[in-house]
Amino acid sequence: MLKMTHLSKVYRTEVVETYALRDFNIDVNEGEFVAVTGPSGSGKTTFLTIAGLLETFTGGTYHLDGVEVSKLDDNARSRIRNEKIGFIFQAFNLIPDLNVFDNVEVPLRYRGMKAAERKQRIMESLERVGLASRAKHYPAELSGGQQQRVAIARALAGSPRLLLADEPTGNLDTQMARGVMELLEEIHREGATIVMVTHDPELAARAQRNVHVIDGQVVDLAEDPRFHAQVQAGRVNI
Amino acid sequence: MFGYYLDLALRSLRRNPALTGLMVLAIAFGVGASMTTYSVFRAVSGDPIPWKSSRLFVPQIDLFGPTAAAKTSNEPQDLVSYKDALAITRAHRAHFQSAMYNIAPSIDPASPGSRPREVMGHAVQWEFFPMVDAPFVYGHAWSADEDAAHAKVAVISSRLNDRQFKGEDSTGREIILDGKPYRIVGVLDHFTPEPLFYDVANRNFGEPDDVFLPFATAIDAQSTNTGNYNCARSPLEEGFSGTLTAECAWIAVMVQLDSTADATAYRQWLDGYTDGQRQAGRFSWASNNRLRNLPAWLDFKQVAPPDTKVSLLVALGLLVVCMVNTIGLMLAKFMRRSGEIGVRRALGASRLQIAVQFTVEAAVLGFTGGLLGVAMTWIGMTAMRAVLPEDIAALARMDGSLLSLTLCMAVLATVVAGLYPTLRATWVRPALQLKSN
Amino acid sequence: MAITPIIVALRRHKAGALLIGLQIALTLAIVCNALFIITTRIERIGRPTGIDEANLFKVSVQRGGLPSDGEAAKARLDADVRTDLAAIRALPDVADAYVTNTLPLANSNWTGWLGQTPDGDKVGPSTAFFLGDEHTLATLGLHLVEGRNFRPEEVLPHSLRDRVAPAQLIISKALAQKLYPDGDAIGKTVYVGPSAPPTRIIGVVDRLQSSTVQAWAESFAWQTSIVPARFSFTYRTYAIRARPGRLDAAMKAVPDALYAVDPQRVIPEDDGVLSFAGIRARAYRADRGMAILMGAVCVILLTVTAAGVVGLSSFWVGQRRRQIGIRRALGATRRNILNYFLAENALITVGGVLVGALMAFAINAWLMVQFELARLSVNYVLAGIVALIVLGQASAFAPALRASHIPPVEATRS
Repeated sequence: MLKMTHLSKVYRTEVVETYALRDFNIDVNEGEFVAVTGPSGSGKTTFLTIAGLLETFTGGTYHLDGVEVSKLDDNARSRIRNEKIGFIFQAFNLIPDLNVFDNVEVPLRYRGMKAAERKQRIMESLERVGLASRAKHYPAELSGGQQQRVAIARALAGSPRLLLADEPTGNLDTQMARGVMELLEEIHREGATIVMVTHDPELAARAQRNVHVIDGQVVDLAEDPRFHAQVQAGRVNI
Repeated sequence: MFGYYLDLALRSLRRNPALTGLMVLAIAFGVGASMTTYSVFRAVSGDPIPWKSSRLFVPQIDLFGPTAAAKTSNEPQDLVSYKDALAITRAHRAHFQSAMYNIAPSIDPASPGSRPREVMGHAVQWEFFPMVDAPFVYGHAWSADEDAAHAKVAVISSRLNDRQFKGEDSTGREIILDGKPYRIVGVLDHFTPEPLFYDVANRNFGEPDDVFLPFATAIDAQSTNTGNYNCARSPLEEGFSGTLTAECAWIAVMVQLDSTADATAYRQWLDGYTDGQRQAGRFSWASNNRLRNLPAWLDFKQVAPPDTKVSLLVALGLLVVCMVNTIGLMLAKFMRRSGEIGVRRALGASRLQIAVQFTVEAAVLGFTGGLLGVAMTWIGMTAMRAVLPEDIAALARMDGSLLSLTLCMAVLATVVAGLYPTLRATWVRPALQLKSN
Repeated sequence: MAITPIIVALRRHKAGALLIGLQIALTLAIVCNALFIITTRIERIGRPTGIDEANLFKVSVQRGGLPSDGEAAKARLDADVRTDLAAIRALPDVADAYVTNTLPLANSNWTGWLGQTPDGDKVGPSTAFFLGDEHTLATLGLHLVEGRNFRPEEVLPHSLRDRVAPAQLIISKALAQKLYPDGDAIGKTVYVGPSAPPTRIIGVVDRLQSSTVQAWAESFAWQTSIVPARFSFTYRTYAIRARPGRLDAAMKAVPDALYAVDPQRVIPEDDGVLSFAGIRARAYRADRGMAILMGAVCVILLTVTAAGVVGLSSFWVGQRRRQIGIRRALGATRRNILNYFLAENALITVGGVLVGALMAFAINAWLMVQFELARLSVNYVLAGIVALIVLGQASAFAPALRASHIPPVEATRS
């Protein structure tokens, strides 16, 4: 589904070159729920932006759903984002001028879908996140948890093959976070591929597989005692 | 999809009423000022007879010679002498030709008890009417024979016909001009060209002509020339009869020449005529003639006052400033929404889709500004009527073409102004974060 | 306050700063030229004609159906004119009156040339002729600086196409100086055009403007002559001075009196009877209209530019709320913040006006070529620069004040 091989991302300024990712390898299979963890600045968010075709990369290859994406132009990348990928952001990123319904509608609009089908899909995905009754509300009138569920509904509305989540519970309190997490697990059970970036070991533990990133590289989990210790600590907390 | 963009544009404009209002006002002021001055410029610089103006010519003859004190340049006089007017029209070298001069006779009232009044008019030859395509509502022009017979006939305007004869068919009836009776042979159908292109040497905008008399008849009646009268030296003889023999310029001539070849031949004939006059000892200088067609003649005579051009240019400058202002404000408005743009891009909007969204927003803004601009133009034109000379101001009219031009100009100018802000919007990268600040 | 950090900050929103600078530059360039046009026109309108304009009016009459050629016709018309004049002068509201071809600013011009020799083609300065009699100086309120007035016997009937070749002439001081730069025009002989009989200058009036304000006659606008002649033609103009405060009454009484003498005459409805104020308004209507139009353009321009500065400054303040909060948290005073934004505006405005000054002269140079305008004086540009800097600072003040009231706690909000 998602396969990166020897991928690198370099930020260049006049003075220095900074490797955000270096010889980065990952392979996510269809239907997997993968958590990408790592300390701040490790490169996990860079990985997610590249995975989501929001940014280009410097070297290596990236196959998404069997397609090598580095050769694609901006329009093709936009179309893939629209049709194959659903995003869930830490800061929800709902458009404040649009109500819940219109926010969920945004990706469908760019797909050029007919009004009736759009409406059906929007209501389905809002029902799924339990917010159908709030369709006419504006983001500012909702709680953080509700906003994130709207964001998830927006990500799901287009039936993406791949769901990318960036610290989806980062801005939520514990109870709301649990609700959102349960929703993601439910979506996964229904067959979606999910890649979630988080620095929260508790969340990571609920994924099928963990990929740990340090200094822009994937680290073998089994050989890193620090990671085990963290996971242990997380489990103890439960 | 257009409906979606339209909806987004309206939301966006509603969201920030102060900023939107500022932009709409700037567009409206810029467009309003431009269109107000343009309406005046259009009125004074338009072609009064576009279908044949390039075939109408004004011959000029240098009557005074190169050394005359009356001259400030080597251009020949605008008008010709009676002698030359007769020579030109009798030679009959053009398709149509007419000598004419400005008259302002008094006309006896239609009903006893009222006072006589003054009417504006021209003494012309019969060919004048087909030459200028004057439309008749009743009757027709007088004939060549009537011209030759110095017949006491007249063609009047529909305006005068309304006043004297309540708009009825007055052909065959009489009017009394300067105490003499004239039989009406034709009534013109709203023939009020702006400018009065057949005699701009004397008049351009303002009162149209109400009466036309045969040239020879008017000369017989010694109808006073109320136009210009320029002499290099004093006439030998005083009074009206003196003007007929004097080397003084006071008669306008217009001719119709249907092809370039005809014009060239006419020029040659004109030079031949003045060469002959020189050989006869009348002129001591080489031929210095002009044969301008009507557009060139109107331009040469500066019929469109330079002020109207300066005003239009200044107003267009104002429009440019308003548009620069709009670019700045639109840039601010669009950039404030860079978060939204980033999310839309992340959710799959292509650059083109973003560009269309913001161009539609600019167009909606321009259309709104244009609507207000139409109102401003109307106010501006009303104000212009109050301050400009009546003859000019009365010409500026709000019509369908000006209205649609105002709207188109507003939309076009705003879309152009929106190009850079829109371009900047498409540069916003797809983003995971709605960045605040 | 240090300029460098402001410049560095400006580079972060250079498009906006450039646009405001460009707008200020264009505004300055246009406003300078518009102001220049306005003052030129106002000066033109304000030129005194040299006559006492209050209580003065004219009545134009036309009499159709009478022959005008020949001595008999002229005598008949002259008798009519004398009857008219007697009737007008007898009215209680009329102080004085005379008959003429035209009046200053009345836009109907008789012009000619005065030579100092009878010699054929050698001609002197151009002049505009007014026909008048012994009542003319008093009616117009002209100030005779030298010589004498006409005597009644010197005033002869004059038809439209009669030759202007009087035995005596009263001329304006401007014309006298043009003819005789050393002074003393009185008693000198001139010739109205080539091979004319001699004309003696008997008087000089202080100032008398010609009858047209059109561009072609501008070069001799003050070179005027009064010819001792009674304009005895089928159309003519009576210049009438009403008794003080009786202008309106006289303007009604004179036409009535003239119709009583001859009901067959025509006094045009729209412009037959006009006060001198009316004549003046008509003459300068285009100039006044142009000045008002340019004034409106200036007001709109300055308003739009001020609004633009307010709009963009407000946007920048909004954009930098957090940054301002951080500065405040780090110890900047409100005054520092206020000054920062005012200095930023000053920097942009100064850049704009420098470019704008060059553009103002460039536009003026182009207008000079295209429309024969005069050269723009530096004073207008200096005044414009000052005005725009004040305008910029005033417009930026409210947003800057709002910025200075942003609390330091803003630094902690994201």
